[in-house]
Parts: sequence; structure tokens; C-alpha cells
Amino acid sequence: MSKKILIITTNHSSYPGADAVGQARMGYSADTYVIRVPDPVMFPEDFYLNAFAKGIAGIIIMSSGSDCPYEGAYERLSKRVARVYEKMKAKGIAANRLKLTTICTVCRAAFLKEISEMEKAVAAV
Amino acid sequence: MDEKITEASSKDNYRQEPKVGVYICHCGGNISDIIDVKAVAAALAKYPGVAVAREYAFMCSSNGQDLIAEDIKNLGINRTVVAACSPSLHELTFRNVLQRAGVNPYLHEHINIREQASWVHKADHAGATAKAIKLAQAGVEKVKRKDPLNAIRVAAEPRVAVIGGGVAGMRAALSAAGKGLEAVIIEKAPRLGGKLLELGKMYPSGEEGTAIAGKLEALVRAESKISVHTGVDIDFVGGFVGNFKINFKNSDGTSSQVKAGAIIMATGYQHYKPAQGEFGYGESANVVTLPEFISLMKNSPAGRLEYSGKEIKSLALIHCVGSRQVEGIHKPQADGKINDYCSRVCCSSALYAANQVKDRYPGVRIYDVYRDIRTYGMQHETYYDKASKDGVLFMRHNEADQPVIVSDRTGHTVKVKDVLTWGEELEVKADLIVLVTGMMPSDISLIKSQMKMPTGADRFLQEVHLKLRPVELANSGVFIAGTAQYPMDVPEAMAAAGTAAAKAAILLAEPDIPLEPFVAVVDEHKCTGCGLCPAECSYDGALMMAEKNGKKVAVVNPALCKGCGACVAVCPVRAINVAGWTLDQFDAMVEAIAKE
Amino acid sequence: MSYTERIEADALVVGSGIAGLQAALDLADQGYSVAIVEKAPSIGGKMISLSKVFPTLDCASCITTPRMASVSHHPRIRTLTYSTVDAIKREGGTFTAAVTRKPRYIDEKECISCKRCEEVCPVYLPDEYEQGLGAKKTISIPFTNAIPQLPVMHPEHCIRCGACARTCPKDCIEFLQEPAPVEIKAKAVILATGYETTPMTAKKQYGLGELPNVISPMAAERLLAPHGPYGRVLRPSDGKVPGSIAYVQCAGSRDKSIGVPYCSRVCCMYAIKQAILLSGSLPVADITIYYMDIRAFGKGYEQFYNNARAMGINFVKAKVARVTEDADHNPVVRIERQEGTSAPEEVKHDLVVLAQGLVPGCDVSKFGLGAGLNDFGFVQLSDETVSSAVTAGAGVFAAGVVKGPRDIPDSVMDAGSAAMEAASYIRKL
Repeated sequence: MSKKILIITTNHSSYPGADAVGQARMGYSADTYVIRVPDPVMFPEDFYLNAFAKGIAGIIIMSSGSDCPYEGAYERLSKRVARVYEKMKAKGIAANRLKLTTICTVCRAAFLKEISEMEKAVAAV
Repeated sequence: MDEKITEASSKDNYRQEPKVGVYICHCGGNISDIIDVKAVAAALAKYPGVAVAREYAFMCSSNGQDLIAEDIKNLGINRTVVAACSPSLHELTFRNVLQRAGVNPYLHEHINIREQASWVHKADHAGATAKAIKLAQAGVEKVKRKDPLNAIRVAAEPRVAVIGGGVAGMRAALSAAGKGLEAVIIEKAPRLGGKLLELGKMYPSGEEGTAIAGKLEALVRAESKISVHTGVDIDFVGGFVGNFKINFKNSDGTSSQVKAGAIIMATGYQHYKPAQGEFGYGESANVVTLPEFISLMKNSPAGRLEYSGKEIKSLALIHCVGSRQVEGIHKPQADGKINDYCSRVCCSSALYAANQVKDRYPGVRIYDVYRDIRTYGMQHETYYDKASKDGVLFMRHNEADQPVIVSDRTGHTVKVKDVLTWGEELEVKADLIVLVTGMMPSDISLIKSQMKMPTGADRFLQEVHLKLRPVELANSGVFIAGTAQYPMDVPEAMAAAGTAAAKAAILLAEPDIPLEPFVAVVDEHKCTGCGLCPAECSYDGALMMAEKNGKKVAVVNPALCKGCGACVAVCPVRAINVAGWTLDQFDAMVEAIAKE
Repeated sequence: MSYTERIEADALVVGSGIAGLQAALDLADQGYSVAIVEKAPSIGGKMISLSKVFPTLDCASCITTPRMASVSHHPRIRTLTYSTVDAIKREGGTFTAAVTRKPRYIDEKECISCKRCEEVCPVYLPDEYEQGLGAKKTISIPFTNAIPQLPVMHPEHCIRCGACARTCPKDCIEFLQEPAPVEIKAKAVILATGYETTPMTAKKQYGLGELPNVISPMAAERLLAPHGPYGRVLRPSDGKVPGSIAYVQCAGSRDKSIGVPYCSRVCCMYAIKQAILLSGSLPVADITIYYMDIRAFGKGYEQFYNNARAMGINFVKAKVARVTEDADHNPVVRIERQEGTSAPEEVKHDLVVLAQGLVPGCDVSKFGLGAGLNDFGFVQLSDETVSSAVTAGAGVFAAGVVKGPRDIPDSVMDAGSAAMEAASYIRKL
């Protein structure tokens, strides 16, 4: 069974960041699936838990962080993710299978680092 | 809800049975050398909802585009998935193909299998192919759940209200009128000109403040598209983009209302007023602020600099009074905050004034007590040079060693721990102390509270983003011009005001303001009226609870919603979604990706 | 040379840095058609090569790319990159610009931006986008987020091996391509030609170009960028991680001896910003800024300066007489302190950044448009207390640093004003 990693990116910064990795022909695991949204703040806590239940091994939320164009969205997102961690703990899902991070439009090295760290985390799943 | 807003026709006529066309691009080997595009097309052809799946050398070429148009015509394809390069390059290309073929352009999903697959999984052809299949299937699931989207339009008042009739307000009105817009200046003082009316000779042109204001006023008066209300008192500002209302009392006691599509805040600044006793201000005689000194100079006879009838033979300029304040050293203002910002214009103003003194009264000794000289503008450095040449004596102190003024009947003694003489404690006598005071924003608390306008820690109006949207407030349709935003000099205020007018002109370029369709949409049948979502919204007035068809439901004002989706996450029944990016779509995508 | 392409637009914008882009958007969004001419192969100007920008430390690329994308997708904006404006003539209310599109040696319409030509090309050149700190191929797309994503070939370095032509999936390589003339007719012209950093030829004692570890601020920007040449901060001579870095302020500003007496407005702030970024990536490094006056005059700048001081960055009020180096290429800075003590000192650092000032990027007088210049070659406005964009040339407006040094917020705030003056002028024609 493959260890699929879901990568949630933003239209504003991390999706172009993922493109920059490709333009530089840097390599990473093919078990990675990038989806893009205006802002990950839209996902309810259950979205993440359902994704794990469906068989996703790891989730990286690549937010726009301080470059976020939406007011208060990053603060809300980080609070929400904290609650997701609590629910994951209750269900016995390892906390390192979900990661909230910030990726800019040219943050290539950081993008790859997040993926390799998540690969290590999901190897134990 | 305002009836002028055209509802997003998100559920046009009927929901067609999805017939998805899937197109896999080879990108001339860029994709097909790594990804088995035939296998991807074959897997997709069998996928539920897909009517046709094709692969082609260059989907972006006109032959590739024709392929899609033909399928729309011949096979009745009503949704498309193109798996190719990054959407940043060609998503628009394919949306346009749909549009030309008579399909709503938002019924397209663009899948990136180049930058995010073939180029990054070169060593794993099987893995890259499997990934491309999954991503395309997820794309099909997403596009099946998409609704057609159309731009929402808000009817707008074709008029800009400019609050404040100083130079920034006049410039903003002139620029808007130059573009053909009607502009209304609303000024509380009896005449136009703002703070400039109080000032004497000013840098950079050396004209009197009244002369500069006069040039702009003459242009304003000659412009038929500008109307001016002076001596008025604003009592209400409300509404939203396209439809603002400003109520005010005229000087004769009557009331007026201005309706405007956009508002430009040109409410300006006030001089920092030193606290009682700050460097002797208000307590000792002969301690004045720089603006007071400039008018004093204006009224002094030739050959003799006078204050209260006495000749001034020496003066000391104390910089940064009310600016660059430091916690623990300076006393907070009435609101508990210190002015930790630099007021930008005071160094140049002070040296410009010092040079005038030296020109008109060469015998007057001038001491300049400063922390950093910030003569940043093109000619400003020449003011500094001239002052040094003409014998102005500069003394520089650290923030922790504030100068001390000791006053007695013979005059003032200024004590400075001067770093330029390596920390020596210097004492100089001065007949007059000039406090180089900074700027603070005008008191506009009523408008700010009624419109919930954001201000920064410095109390000036806070723009959305200093570089991306430097003259826009978070309130859509409200722009800032000039010193209401931050201290600036006249040329800088001209630039800011022109740009504020540009934003207003763009907003009101058409009779209807087109809004992004990607805003929150409420399914009123599902909504239980629980009220959780408005609490989650960061944009005032964008999401509210209201009665609709006898039921309490969440209602979105698409003119104010930015489409971030914060509300979506908290709805317990999934009744609210961002158009084009619904949770159902993402659930289905994740399902498709996760499936073995 | 044969066919001349003809373009008609309401306004011609010369230069596509942040001021030119913003002016073009602010016109086009009001319904006017705009032609932009940019000499570089990508739009975006200087800003697109910066790391992060003060005082909010947002990623420069993340702020510039949306603007670049809006311009390149705008239905009313036509952009000519890698093109020069050779002359502009005015007849009545019409400007006619003679423009030359330089050959990229590829078919721009057919290219799919796949970079295969770049992969197979065997010849490396110093990469000017990376300020010479990295290498690029003789045929290459200028940088990651360049717009358009089209490669440029440098025939003077090409060995005619033909590898690119053989690998190109679209048969795009055109070795025989020639410069192409374009004629642009417009009703108004906006000059947004920006700046270059002060040349240090008149200030040889600072060692730029001679001493390997004395670098320009633009090179420091690339070292600090997340997609920079090394991916981290290393000094050029030996690839060592610098433990001590110094900034020499006013290197080419406020200096009559080199003909730049004015303050360049941005250098204090970019030095402070780079110092803050450096202390983030090199937490144990000592960072010193030698300055005359710190000019943190913009919104949020003083607070930014205070943060830098709180972070332990050393601000030393001193004049720098010269920079030399020791046997290990460590720069030695000779200073005269303006506070504390007066004796000259020599201080050794691992890396020195010269905070170069700004000079005009283009001598716009060559266009003969009647826009006056000041003593330093910047465009002079008719009356800056009435308008921030109107020049003495009818129909000629100025945006951004072409009028004198200013930072990004001030340039963006300025550009809309130029667009407004142009719109108003066109409307009254």
C-alpha cells in the first residue's frame, strides 16, 4: 500500500512555490498530491480526520503565513490545526502525520524539506 | 440586503448531467517522456462521468484547442479537465476555449502534471504515471461538482467623496475629475487648504503654504465636475463599496447627504502638541514649536528676528519632539501609546527654516540638537549642507540622553551630551527654543468607528498592504490620500492622492462594479441559522444573520466578502461554501486520490 | 530586416519595474490600452530579484509575481520584453516610438517553456540575474519566475553545436533570427525607467570588483533569496560561511566627490533588512552597520530599525575611509568613528556589503520628449507641489525612481498618480 501525502497549497504562494521546484527540476517522491485552495482556513477539522480515514498517510498544509492575503486567516488556521491535533490524539493518529507550514513562491528548499520530513513520518504508519 | 446586487447565477437554469472531456498533454515529450500519457488517457476514459479522454502533443496549440472545441460541439462535452503544464501558464487559455464554445469558462479544471509531476519525478515513470491518473481523476471529481459562475455586479454611484479639503484632498478630487468622475470635497474648515494655510515658506519650492494651496484651489474651482462643501460637520458615514452615504451639517445648520461609489480619506494630520512642560513648553517663555516658529518668522520685521517684541539672537532647534519616542524615556500620550514613529518631514522642514533664518538674519546663532538628520529627499541634503556651511552648530545625542533645557530670566541653557564631541556635556545659551514637532493623524474617531476603519499602532489609517495595495483600506471602496496614512510632504501627498484617485477611477470605471465570483454562497435550505459563521468572518458586514423567507439564515454581502472561506470551516451542516471551491469538491478529490 | 510590426495603444510605458507595471495596470484597469517596452528579457525590474522587502519582510517574489501575471494576462496590455526604445517622435498628439525587439533566437510563439534546450546546452556563462554568483547556460530562461518564460540565446557564446535545436520538441531554435523593428503609436508616454546602483568606479578605495569579499547589495540580495545561487549565505572567495559581516552606508550617496550628493533613500533600510535576514540565517554572525545617519523615515521603518538594534546588530556611527584585505581575502575596513573615540581603526570582517546608492537607469533625454532633467539625470517635474507626474513635455509623465530615488512603497504609491495624469491627458486630447 502506498503512503500518500496530501499537500494543501494556496493559490497565492505555495502552489507557485511547488511550480518553482518543478522549474528547477528538483526531485521528490511521486506519492505526493498537491491540491490548491484560496486558503486552507476553509477546511473544517473533520476534513483532515476524514482524509486520514480514507487512507491518506500524511497531510502538509502549506499556508501563505505572513504573506496571507486574507485578514486573520492564518491565525484562525493555526488555531484550527491545533484542535485537529487534539482530535488526532484522541483517535490515536500520530501528530507528525499533519504539518502546518509556510511556503513562499520561491521557497524550493523548504518545500523539499517538508516533503522529506513527512515521508519519514508516514514511513512508520 | 441591497437589491442593487445581482445574485450570482450559480445555479443557471438547470444542472446539466456532467459530460467530462479529459485532455492529456504530451508537452512535446516534457510530460510524455516520463508519464505514460496513453495509459493515463485509457484509465480516464473508463472513469465515471468521463465522456471522452484524449492525449495530444500540444494541447495549448490551436490544433489542441480545436480538439476541445470540436468535442464540445460534437459530443456535448460540458466540462473539461486538461492535464498539462502549470495553470499559471495556460488555465486561462482553456477557459477561453470553453467560453468561445459556449460553455461557462469556470467548468474547467486544470491539472498540473508537468511542473508538479513529470519534471519532479524523472526517475519514477510508473509513480509519475500513477500520480497523473489520480490527479486527473481527482480533477474529474472536482469538475463534476462545479457550478457555472458569473461575475457579480454591484450598481455604483458614479461619484467620489473626498473627505478633507487639504492639498491631498484637492489633488485627489482633481485627478478623479480629470478622468471624468464627479468628485465632492467635504471639508470641516471654512476654506480649502488644510494645514498649509497655517504655514509659511515651505520646502521644496520656497512658496508660502497659502500659495501652494491656492494653486490647487484655483484648479479645483475651475473644474466643473468638483463640488465643494466647506465648514461642514460630518455626522454619519456608512454603506459599502459602490453605495456609500455621507451625512453632514452645513455651516448654516441645514443637513446634506452625499452618495458616492467610493470614498477618499484625505483627513490629514495635526501637529504634535508638546505636553505641558515638555522641554519647558507652556511653562517657560520663548519655547515654541516649529510650525509656530515658521509663522513667527513670517511676521518678523526684516533685519530683526522677534518673538513677543524681543529680539532673538540665538535659537536651538530640538528635533524629534513627539516623534521617535522610546518606551521608558518618553511619557505616553493620552491614549497610553508613545509616538515611536519618525515623522519624516521634520528634519528637512527644520533645516529649511534654519536656512531662512540664516539668510534673513545672518547674525542669529542656531544650534541644532538631533539624533539622526533625515534629509532624504532629492534636494533635502542641500538644506543640510547649507546649514552646516552657514554655521549652524549641530549637536547629536543618543535617545537615552535627552537634551535638558534649563530656563531662567536670562534665557535658556540647553544641555546636550553630544556624541559628535565624543560624549562631552555641552551647554549653550539660546534666546528661543524651537521644538521640531512631528505629525499625528487628525481626530477622525467618529468616521473611523462608524466605518470600522483600521488604524495602525501609530494611529494613522492602516492600508491593506504597504506595497500591493498601499492606498486601499480593508473597507472595499475606501482609499487613503496623504497624511491621514502617514507623515509626508506636499510632493509625496500629491503622489499618494493621485494614486488614491486612480483606485477610485478603476473601481468606478463602469456603471456596475464587477466583483470576483469566488465569494461565500449560502445554501438557504441547509442553513439552520445557528450563527456560528458570522463570528468567524474577518470582514465587517460581509456575513450576517438575517430573516429570509421567514427563516433566520446567514446572508453574504458579495461586495464585502473576500472569499477566504473562514466561515466554511465552522458550518456544522456544510451550508456555506466558497463558490468554485466547495468542500464537497475537495472531499471527492481526496477520496479519488486516496482510493487504491 | 523587413516587416515592421505596428502597435497602437493609448499609452506607452517605458520600463516594467514595479512602477511601470503598476502604472500600466492602473491605466489598463480604467479601460485604456497600454504598450510596455522592457529592455530585459523578463518584466519585473529590480524588485523581482530581491529577497525579502522592508519593513514587513514579505517575500519580494510573492509580491511582484502577481503584478507581473496581471500585466501579462491583461487583455489591454501588450508587453514587449527584450526590446529597446530607440527613438520617440511626437507629431501633434501622437507619439511614435521606434522599438527594436532583440533576437532571442527562438520562435517565441511556438516555445512551450520546457527548458530542454537549456538542459542540453554545454556552455556555461556567469548569470547576471545572480549577480555573477552563479552560472547559467548560453540558452536559458533568465530566472525561475521570469515572465515570459522564454529562453534567450547569447550567440556570442554559442558554439553552434546544435544540441538545443535537436532536442527542442517544437523546432523553435532559430539561429538566424534578426532584430525586429516595431513601431508603437501612443497618445501618452510614461517614463518608468528606474535605476542602477551607483557605479563604484569613482570610489575605488572601497574595493568593489577588486576584493572578492566586498560585494554589492544586489549580490547580497541573491545570497539571501530562498532561491539564491548557493541556497545559503557563503562568501565568494572561498565559500566560507561568514562570521562577521559589515555594511558600509552611503557608499555612493551623500558624496559630492563622486557626483552623487543626494541621499538615495533606500540604503539604510535595505541594509537593516539584510542585516535582520542575515542574523536569521547566520545566528552567530556579528553584523555591523557603519553609518552617518540612519534614515528610517517611512511607515513602520523606525520600528524596524529598533527591532534590528534589539536583535544585536551593531550600528556604528563612523566614516569609512577605505576597504583593503588581508592575505586570506578578509576585508579590512578603515573607519573613523564619529562617536566614542576619534582615532582611526582598522576592523577585519569576513564579508563587506557596500550600500550603494541609486542613479538613473536610463538617460531619458535621448528621447527628446521635453521632459527636463535635474543635475543628476533624474526627471524634473513641472511643479511637484501640484502634481507628482507631470513633466514639461506635453503628454509625458514619470513614475517611480526615474524622478529620483524612492523605495518600493513610495514607487507603487507614485505609479497610480502617473497613470491618472496620463488618463486625464488622453481624455482631454
